[in-house]
Amino acid sequence: MKTYSELEYLRLSKWQKFWYKFARFFCVVIPNGIKNGVFAIGRFFKKLGLGIAHECKDIVTTFIYGDWKTKVSYLVMGFGCIARGQILRGILFFLFEGIFIAYMILYGGYWLGMLPSLGKLGPAEEYDEVLDTFVVKYHDNSFRILLYGVLTIFFIIAFIYTWRVNIKQNKIAEGIIKSGKKLKSGKDDLRSLVDDNFHKTLLALPLTGIIVFTVLPIIFMILVAFTNYDGTHNGYTNNLFHWVGMDNFNTILSWDVGTGGSVQSYAATFGEILLWTLIWAFFATFTNYFLGMFVAMMINKKGIRFKKGFRTILVLTIAIPQFISLLYVSKMFSLNGIVNGILKDLGWIKDAIDFWGSTANNGLLARVMVIVLNIWIGIPYLMLIATGILMNIPQDLYESSKIDGAGAWKQYTKITLPYMLFITGPYLLTSFTSNMNNFNVIYLLTGGAPTNAAASAASGSVGYTDLLITWLFKITTGAESQYNLASVIGILVFIAVAVISLVVYGVLPSVKNEEDFQ
Amino acid sequence: MNKAVTKEEKAMRRHMGLRATRAISNTVIHILLIVISIVWLIPFIFITLQSFRIENAMPVGYVIPHQWGIDNYINLFKSDFPKWYLNTFIVAVVTALIQTIIVLCMSYTLSRFRFKMRKPLMRFMLILGMFPGMLTMIILYRVLADIGLTQANAVPGLILVYVASSGMGYYVSKGFFDTIPKSLDEAARVDGASRAQVLTRIILPLSKPIVIYTILTAFMAPWGDFVFARYVSFGTSSGMNVAVGMYNWLNNDMITTRYTMFCAGGVIVAIPVAILFMCLQKYYVEGVTGGAVKG
Amino acid sequence: MASVKLTKVKKIYDNKVVAVHDFDLEIKDKEFVVFVGPSGCGKSTTLRMIAGLEDISEGTIEIDGVVVNDLQPKDRDIAMVFQNYALYPHMTVYDNIAFSLRLQKVPEDVIYEKVTNAAQILGITDYLLRKPRALSGGQRQRVAIGRAMVRNSKVFLMDEPLSNLDAKLRNQMRAEIILLRQKLDTTFVYVTHDQTEAMTLGDRIVIMKDGYIMQVGTPTEVFEMPANLFVAEFIGAPKMNIMKTTLTKEGDKYYVNPFGVKIEVDGEKGAALASRGISGCDVTLGVRPEHITLAKEGGIPCTLEVNEMMGSELHLHVFTEDGTRIIVRVPTIGLEASEREALVAGQKVNITFSGKVMHFFDPKTEENLLCDKKPDDEDIGQE
Repeated sequence: MKTYSELEYLRLSKWQKFWYKFARFFCVVIPNGIKNGVFAIGRFFKKLGLGIAHECKDIVTTFIYGDWKTKVSYLVMGFGCIARGQILRGILFFLFEGIFIAYMILYGGYWLGMLPSLGKLGPAEEYDEVLDTFVVKYHDNSFRILLYGVLTIFFIIAFIYTWRVNIKQNKIAEGIIKSGKKLKSGKDDLRSLVDDNFHKTLLALPLTGIIVFTVLPIIFMILVAFTNYDGTHNGYTNNLFHWVGMDNFNTILSWDVGTGGSVQSYAATFGEILLWTLIWAFFATFTNYFLGMFVAMMINKKGIRFKKGFRTILVLTIAIPQFISLLYVSKMFSLNGIVNGILKDLGWIKDAIDFWGSTANNGLLARVMVIVLNIWIGIPYLMLIATGILMNIPQDLYESSKIDGAGAWKQYTKITLPYMLFITGPYLLTSFTSNMNNFNVIYLLTGGAPTNAAASAASGSVGYTDLLITWLFKITTGAESQYNLASVIGILVFIAVAVISLVVYGVLPSVKNEEDFQ
Repeated sequence: MNKAVTKEEKAMRRHMGLRATRAISNTVIHILLIVISIVWLIPFIFITLQSFRIENAMPVGYVIPHQWGIDNYINLFKSDFPKWYLNTFIVAVVTALIQTIIVLCMSYTLSRFRFKMRKPLMRFMLILGMFPGMLTMIILYRVLADIGLTQANAVPGLILVYVASSGMGYYVSKGFFDTIPKSLDEAARVDGASRAQVLTRIILPLSKPIVIYTILTAFMAPWGDFVFARYVSFGTSSGMNVAVGMYNWLNNDMITTRYTMFCAGGVIVAIPVAILFMCLQKYYVEGVTGGAVKG
Repeated sequence: MASVKLTKVKKIYDNKVVAVHDFDLEIKDKEFVVFVGPSGCGKSTTLRMIAGLEDISEGTIEIDGVVVNDLQPKDRDIAMVFQNYALYPHMTVYDNIAFSLRLQKVPEDVIYEKVTNAAQILGITDYLLRKPRALSGGQRQRVAIGRAMVRNSKVFLMDEPLSNLDAKLRNQMRAEIILLRQKLDTTFVYVTHDQTEAMTLGDRIVIMKDGYIMQVGTPTEVFEMPANLFVAEFIGAPKMNIMKTTLTKEGDKYYVNPFGVKIEVDGEKGAALASRGISGCDVTLGVRPEHITLAKEGGIPCTLEVNEMMGSELHLHVFTEDGTRIIVRVPTIGLEASEREALVAGQKVNITFSGKVMHFFDPKTEENLLCDKKPDDEDIGQE
């Protein structure tokens, strides 16, 4: 596309400028963003490869040029440290090696060996001599094999890393001795844990938690997407599960209308729900954002009294656990709930409105209702944020704009709004993605209702207000418990969130021009 | 700001001075704000009123109880509710304490230390956060089941899971630490403090707002969690928290007999949390605004 | 009470930017050394490397003969005053000053003795129980100094300690730092971007630019014999006037020819030029504003553009016929009222200067033609 110089750009009309920016965004900014992303990934792998190559080289050269203490350390970890007087380090290295070898012999070998097959022997009826009858006996457990197999791989990586550190330590110690300096004693090591290496001490616990309780499960669930783990293959009590390659992805992304009278394919259902998820996230984010800002501006306006009182009332909704407020509100709008009761008493309606059950227009009423009720949940939060930012806008901007002749509306569009958007850009992005995964509001308000009959036939009980995340939840809890399909959906959600984040993050002004408003 | 301006008002404006215009717009805003306040309070007023309704226990179409009484509250304490309440309270308190320590460790490190893996680590955690956490519940449940921390032992199991991943929520407090001038650390280190002493003697005393914010949010979260808690306590009433227990009361088969009890329970759960929150509101606001500005 | 020795010290940041190049300097015991230069010249980085707040990429730093490269700041026995004071906001003035002593587990009565003593010297006894935010800028500055004072450390580091104060207070604190120095009698390293501070405080001045040392010398040396054009322009206010001209030799005498006006070079300078075997060449001529006088007749014809009345003197901004701008400092005491009133914008004036006050620089290398190069300064200015 045509690129204008800065001076040429200034002479364009308002509309031309708009179209120019618009076209640039799609023709230049986004492709560049994708290009940069791809390059960044490429650079990452190049760096990784070079790093590993360099490490390998160093391991070999250290062995060749190292003294005998170093060489023994290649087999007996920590030997060099102990031989050179660094007893504490040496013992730790040695203990770690001992534990690792013991674990691998006792357990690790089994788990690792079973990992490719995920179990060979399922439950079977066998003759029990004591009971003198045939009973079902359980053998391999696919779930555990997968879980502990992954854990064992983690452990092996940790061991290789420690082994590498052990070799490096030897090299460094040799260098220090050669230059005639003293090695650090165990006491120095301990002291450095509260000073020089304090960050390692501080990070040890949190990172262990994250690795065991977040990274490990995520890797596990990614792997599950490539198995046939579901209610009928639970890996222990009925059938073992096995690797099935890309089958699950094919199922979710296929347009085939399934067997058994289904009227909608998985892909169509997935697309429908994804579309609603995006629509929901868009409205949930921006209605809250603008209305929250509006409320904050009203409360903060000069001459408004009881500022604190109004703020407190709104904030109260944050304080009350969502499961109470959302469940209660959900029941308020039910068929025999208070809202219908009051409307009937007032004579405004004759029959109760079925807020959550009406399937007219693809459940439009329920969809609008969740967005509106989400405003009720979200405004107080946004009001707080907006208040904080509004107070930070330099007053002289308003004063100078007043002198330049701007009215209240111009002040809003030319000062308040740009400032807010600039500061809260990253926040808007994260709130968009977290709304995509806003389980609580949907699940507590509607539970996904009203039922989408066509989609449900294909994959569990799908409703019109179901987001991907609630659909995923339903798939795992329903009678069929299709963990494999749920994992695929989870991976797709992750990809959607990551792509949106990357693209938006790349074009956010507050990331690019950090100084503009400072 | 000058929304809701009618034609008549516009006409009047031309004749009136600035002060009168402002008075009108302020009045309009006051009315609007009062309406908003009422809308926001209505559910809480309704739930309180219904908790005192004793003529029947099912959802009804009117607000004011026909018969008043505290029977619902009495029934509440005869049910498993006190057990659930205690469970939730223990989980909330312990989680709040441990989680605060972990979050502070994490955010202080990422704010103050410049080590090789810092940036990759932060990026890695950002990416981890994009995975739907819902998925990992299945496996976490199985792991907890393997070590015997489910059903009746759900409380320690829940604490473990809540606390374990809490390091990922470091953003807000890191943002706060970033605003404390680095020269304070440097001055203290020149003055002879070790890194650990810098944390305990300089940074922590200056971080009261963010410490309170972290405790508060960590304390409040367990009260509302019912998805994972339901997994963990599955089928065992003694391991449930309030959210799981009370959620079941609104099932179709129980709602006709437990609806008003749900209301009473809601009031009892909400009051202490809300009071605590109101007292510490200042710090919460500080944390929320700071966090949003920092992104 | 210690010497500080920097040998080939280099600072390279992660992004490969070199902030300090091969920095060599030996600071003697009880010496007051000032690092001065424009922002980004590496002076603060060097100071922070001495303090241990930045890693040293290459080279060594010794304090009192001990290599301190791998020591934590707390183990280097230094005291430091920061630009923004870095007072601990949650502690009272007393606690701020006592902080380092408490970390050393000094008994409380000794702490009391030391803190009150320091407070007395600095005149902050009345504020000991206040928090820093209740203090004025000058008082905070004193607390920061007090905090460094009580440590009796080997080296006293100051990183632009006066730059956050207003002009009047700055002058006052400058004088106090001189007094403090006499009382403490220890080694000082002081960083500033203000050449006046550098000139008034330093025993020796280290002038830096882009990570290189431009010149090291006493205030008199750097003022009278700037090693290069950068130093010449940096030291002295208003800055030195620069003119492109030619140097010619006629017999024993040297002449310069700025703006077509021939001026004889003073005999001493001429002898120095001769001893270096310089005959005739293009030179960059530098003359300080205070050395230029208004001439009744002759001299260089100029037009007055701006007349700044500074009280004791006038700063006249004039431009020559070819548009070169020159600043002239004229003491008011020598001027008649009528003469002063005549100096308005657009007025034609003639300026002149004597052969004694000229500085000659090589137009290409910008080195001072008369400055003796020290052997270890060879690489300066060649990058």
